[in-house]
Amino acid sequence: MRTMKMNTTFSKSRLLLVPVLVMLFAATVYASAPGITGTTFNLTARDAFISQPDGASVYSWGYGCSSAPSGFNPPATLMPGATCPTMQVPGPTLIVMEGQTVTVNLTNNLPTSAGNTSILFPGFNVTATGGVVGLLTHEALPCPTPTACTTNTVSYTFVASSPGTRAYYSGSQGDLQVEMGLYGAIIVVPTAVPTGCTAVGSIPAHYVAPGNSAEADYRLAASAYDNPRSCYDREYLFQFSEMDPGIHKNALAQVTARTGCAATSPTCHLDVPTEPYHPAYFMINGRSMPDDMDPNYAREYPHQPYNGNPHMHPGEQVLLRIIGQGRWQHPFHEHGNHVRILGRDGNLILSSTTAGEVNLAGPLLFTTTTTPGLAMDGIFYWTGKGLNWDPYGHNPASSDSTAKLPCTPDANGYNTAATTALNYYEWCQDHNKPLEAAPFGDVAGGGPATLPDPNILANGAWFGGSPYLGPNATVRAVGPTGTTPPSGTIANSPTGEAGFAFMWHSHNEREITTNNIFPGGMLMMMLVDSREFQIDESN
Amino acid sequence: MKKLYQAVLFVLLCCLTPLVANAQSFRVQCPTSTITHPNAANNNSEPAYTAPTNVNGAIKCQQISGGDGYSTMGDGTQTYMFSFGPLSGLSKIANGQPGTDFPSEFNVPSPSALLPGAPATMATPSSGTSVPIGFGYNGAVGLTADLDAIADGKCVAPCLDGHVDPRPIIDVGVLNGNIPAPLFAIDEDDEFFLTLTNVGMIMRPDLFEQHTVHFHGYPNASTFYDGVPDASVAINIGGSFTYYYLAPDAGTYFWHCHITPPEHLQMGMVGQIYVRPRQDRVALGGDLYASLQQQELDNRTKCDSTQDILCSNPLPAINTAATAASTVVNGGHSGGYAYNDGDGSTYYDVEYPIQIHGFDPSFHFVGMTFNPEQFADMKDKYFLLNGRSYPDTVTTGPLATQSADGKMHFSQPLPSIINIPAGKKALLRISDLDVTEYQTLASLGIPMTVIGYNAKLLRDQAGNNLYYNTNSITLAGGESLDVILDATDTTRYPSGSVFYLYTPNLDHLSNDAENFGGLMTEVRIN
Repeated sequence: MRTMKMNTTFSKSRLLLVPVLVMLFAATVYASAPGITGTTFNLTARDAFISQPDGASVYSWGYGCSSAPSGFNPPATLMPGATCPTMQVPGPTLIVMEGQTVTVNLTNNLPTSAGNTSILFPGFNVTATGGVVGLLTHEALPCPTPTACTTNTVSYTFVASSPGTRAYYSGSQGDLQVEMGLYGAIIVVPTAVPTGCTAVGSIPAHYVAPGNSAEADYRLAASAYDNPRSCYDREYLFQFSEMDPGIHKNALAQVTARTGCAATSPTCHLDVPTEPYHPAYFMINGRSMPDDMDPNYAREYPHQPYNGNPHMHPGEQVLLRIIGQGRWQHPFHEHGNHVRILGRDGNLILSSTTAGEVNLAGPLLFTTTTTPGLAMDGIFYWTGKGLNWDPYGHNPASSDSTAKLPCTPDANGYNTAATTALNYYEWCQDHNKPLEAAPFGDVAGGGPATLPDPNILANGAWFGGSPYLGPNATVRAVGPTGTTPPSGTIANSPTGEAGFAFMWHSHNEREITTNNIFPGGMLMMMLVDSREFQIDESN
Repeated sequence: MKKLYQAVLFVLLCCLTPLVANAQSFRVQCPTSTITHPNAANNNSEPAYTAPTNVNGAIKCQQISGGDGYSTMGDGTQTYMFSFGPLSGLSKIANGQPGTDFPSEFNVPSPSALLPGAPATMATPSSGTSVPIGFGYNGAVGLTADLDAIADGKCVAPCLDGHVDPRPIIDVGVLNGNIPAPLFAIDEDDEFFLTLTNVGMIMRPDLFEQHTVHFHGYPNASTFYDGVPDASVAINIGGSFTYYYLAPDAGTYFWHCHITPPEHLQMGMVGQIYVRPRQDRVALGGDLYASLQQQELDNRTKCDSTQDILCSNPLPAINTAATAASTVVNGGHSGGYAYNDGDGSTYYDVEYPIQIHGFDPSFHFVGMTFNPEQFADMKDKYFLLNGRSYPDTVTTGPLATQSADGKMHFSQPLPSIINIPAGKKALLRISDLDVTEYQTLASLGIPMTVIGYNAKLLRDQAGNNLYYNTNSITLAGGESLDVILDATDTTRYPSGSVFYLYTPNLDHLSNDAENFGGLMTEVRIN
C-alpha cells in the first residue's frame, strides 16, 4: 500500500512534477549517434549499478572498454567528454567502415558466479577464437580479478561486409545476460559517398542560418547505405529495452551470496528465474525519460553514456537507427511524420535485385515496431507541407523584415534557393497563409481558425508559446502589440527556441512510465527547430 | 442523482469563471467558407476532381465531448470509462456512420430540446438494437443564435456563428462517452474543424483533467494541433478547442486523447478517422491513371520518388487503364478507393472501420474510484473490436448502457459485422489502440489482402504494388493497416455463408472470466 500511495502522489501531481523534471534537462543538448571507432575493440563485461529516474540504482551487467578505444565518433573535438567506461548500458556503439576486418576481444570480468559470457554479431560471418566453445560461439570464462586468467578472453573477427545498423548481444544464457544489460550496437558506415550526398565534414550549407555560426557536422557518414536515396543530414540511434527489477535484485542477492566462490565449485552459479517476466523500466539507450534527454556522456550516468534527444531543422533528412534489445516488441511511434524504412539488419530493401537499382521498397511507417535483435534504418523529415497555414506566421504587412521573408518555390515547392535563409525549406504554397481568423499582434488575420482564449488552456512544458515555429513568429503572435513574449514554457523557450516539439514514444502506453510513475520510460521529445535556433549536438 | 452531479459540475464551472474573465468557454467553429474554400455554396458537397487547379474538397465539421461514461462488456459488466462522445452528428453516430458534417448539416440548431442521454433517450426503440434509431438530428449540440451579437448589430439573424448554449451541451455531453470514440471521415483537400468540448468527468470530480485530440499519423503535423499536452495546449473543463486540419493524404488513421496516455487510452479515449482519396472524386468512367497524372502536376499532391522519400503513391509501374468505378462521393451508394492508386487496385464495394482495443477491468475499477493506478502490471481481460467483444460484435445497432445518471446512453455505436454483398469486396480499415500488447486478427475463410500500412499505400518507389495475401495481421497499439476481403468468387463465398475474424491469441477469446468471446466477429456474405 505504501508504494501505491507514493505513486499516487507522482501521477496525480504530475503538473507539479513536470517543471521539476524539466529543470533536470534545461541545458540544451542533443543526441547524434556517438560511439567508438577502430578496427580492434578491446571490450570487457562487468557489473555495476545503473540509474533510473525514480531514484533506483539497478544492478546490471554491461560491456565496456578494457582499454582506451582508438577513437571516438563524433570525435572529442566535437563532443567533449566522450568516454568509454569499463561497463555501460547499452554497450559501446562500435563504428566501423564497410569492408574492414574487425576484431573484438572480450574479457569476462563478471562475477565468477555469473558464468561464461560472449558476444554474438548477427549478420556477420564471425570467426571466434580463444576462451571455451559454448553453444552459440566461443565464450570467455569469468575472471573478476583479471590476473592470472588465461581463458577469460575471446576474440571475434569478421569483415564488416555491408553498411547499416545491427545489434550485438550476449550469446551466453541470453535470457538473463541480455536482461542484465549485455547488448549494444554496431554501425557499419559506407566508404564511398553516393552521388548527391554530402561528404562528412563538408557541412551542408543549409546548416548555416543568419546570425548563427555554422553548425558542426555530427554525422558518421554521408549516407546510411551505398545508395543515393539514403543520404542524410543528421542521425540518431535508439536502442529499446526493458528491465524487470526483480530479476536484477535476485541476481545481485545471489552474486553477493557467492562472492569469492571458485568457478570449479558446483554451487558457484546463479539460479535466477527469468519468468514470469514483469518489467517496470522501459528504456531508450539504457535511460528512462527524462534522463534520456540529458547529455551524452553526462556525469550523472557513468554507466549510461548515450542519450535520446533528437533535434532537427525543417527539411533535413534525419537517419534513425532503431534497435530492439531486450525481449519485448515496442511500437515506437514517431509523431510529426512517417519514417521510410531503408533496411533491416543492414539489408537495404530495394524494389528489385537488378544491379544499380536505387528505388527503395521499405515501408513508410508512423509506428516503427522494435523487435528484439532487429535493427532498422529509416529516414524521417519534417517540413510542415500541407498544413494550409504558414507555420512561420509570415506577415507581409509587418514592419519586421524577418516577418516578411520571401518564399521562392523550387521544382518541389520548397524555398531552397537561398541556402542561408531563415525560412530555408519552407513550403511555399502555404507562405503568408494566415491561420487565425482575426489579426492578432503582428500576425495577419483572414485565416480559418479562431484560437481559444489562452486562459482556458493548460500549457505544456515543451509548448513553444504559440501555434507558430521559431522565436520571431512566436513573439509576434502572442502579445497584442506583437512585442510581448509569452510566459516561459520551461523546456522550449518561446524567445530562444520555440521549436515544434513532438513526442516520440512507445505506443504500448504503459511503457511510458518508470516503475509505475508517469511520465517516464520510453519517451522523448523531438524538436523541429526554426533555423533561428542553432542546434549543437555536442555536450 | 443527476441533479446532484449537474450541481457539482456547475460549481466546478463556476470555480473556473474567475480565472477566465474573457473566456469564450464552450463554442463551436464551422465556417461556411474560408480563403481556401471561398464559395460557401460549393462547400456542402465534394466536387469532382479533374485537375489540381480546381479548389478541391469541401469543409467538414464535428463536435465531440471529452468526459466520461459507461460501456457494457461482453459478459454484461458495466464498465467505467474516460471517454469521448458525440456532440454533433448524433444520428449518424448512433447509426454506425461517421459523425462528420458539412457546414449545412453542422450549423443547424436542434429543432427540439435535447434530453439528457440523447439520442438513446429520444430514440425509438430506446433499447438501441435496431437501426435506424428514429432520431434524426445531426447538427452541433448547443448551437444557438448569438442574440448578443444580433443586438449589437454585429450579426444578422439567424446568426449561427458558433455561439452555443451550454445547457444542452451538458445535458447531452455528460456521461455520453463512446467506445470507440466518434468516427470521423474526411476527404482529401477538406478543411476539417474538429471541436473538442471538455464537459468534465462527473464521476471523478477530484480530477481537473484536460483532454486533447491526437490525430495519429498526420504527416508534417503542427505541434499546436498534435494534441500532446506537453508540447502544446490542452483544454480545461468548461471550454472548447477547435482543431483545424487540412485533410492529409488518404489513408486509415486513428485518434486518441494524449493526456497521460497509459491512463486515458486504457480508460477508453480512442477513436477512428479515415481520409478518402481524391480518386473517389473522379467522375464515373474517368481514367484513373490520367487522374493520378493530374495529381502529379501539383507539388502538394505529387509523389516523385526521386525527390521525396516519404511519399507512397508514385504512378503505378503498370498502367492498367482502369476507369473510375462508382463511389460514395461520385454519386454511388457505396464503394470507393482506399488510396490514389492510379490502377484501381484498392477498390472496395463496402468499408468497415475496425478498431482493436483492450480493457483491464481492474484498472477501470480503480479508475472509477479515487485510488491510484498501477501501470506496469496492467493486464487486459476484455478484448475489443470497436469497443465490443463477441458476441456483442455481431449485435446490430448501437449498444446502450445505463449510466450513473439513471439514463440509457448509446455507449458502443459500432457493431463489427462485416456484411459483404455476394461477389463484392470489403475494405477493413483496421487500427489498434491497445496500450499493453500486440494483438493478432485472423480471417477464417476469405484471405486478407493487405494493401496499406500505417495510412500509406503499399507500393515501392518504382511503382510496384507490394500487396500481400495473408490470413492474419498483427498490430500493436499505434498502428493501422488496410485489408481487402475479396469475395468476388461466389463459388467459394456464396451468398449466405458466414466466415469469422478472430484472434489466434487464444487467451483473448474470452470476456474476463467467460472463456468464450473476446476478439471475434463475423463476415457475412449477403
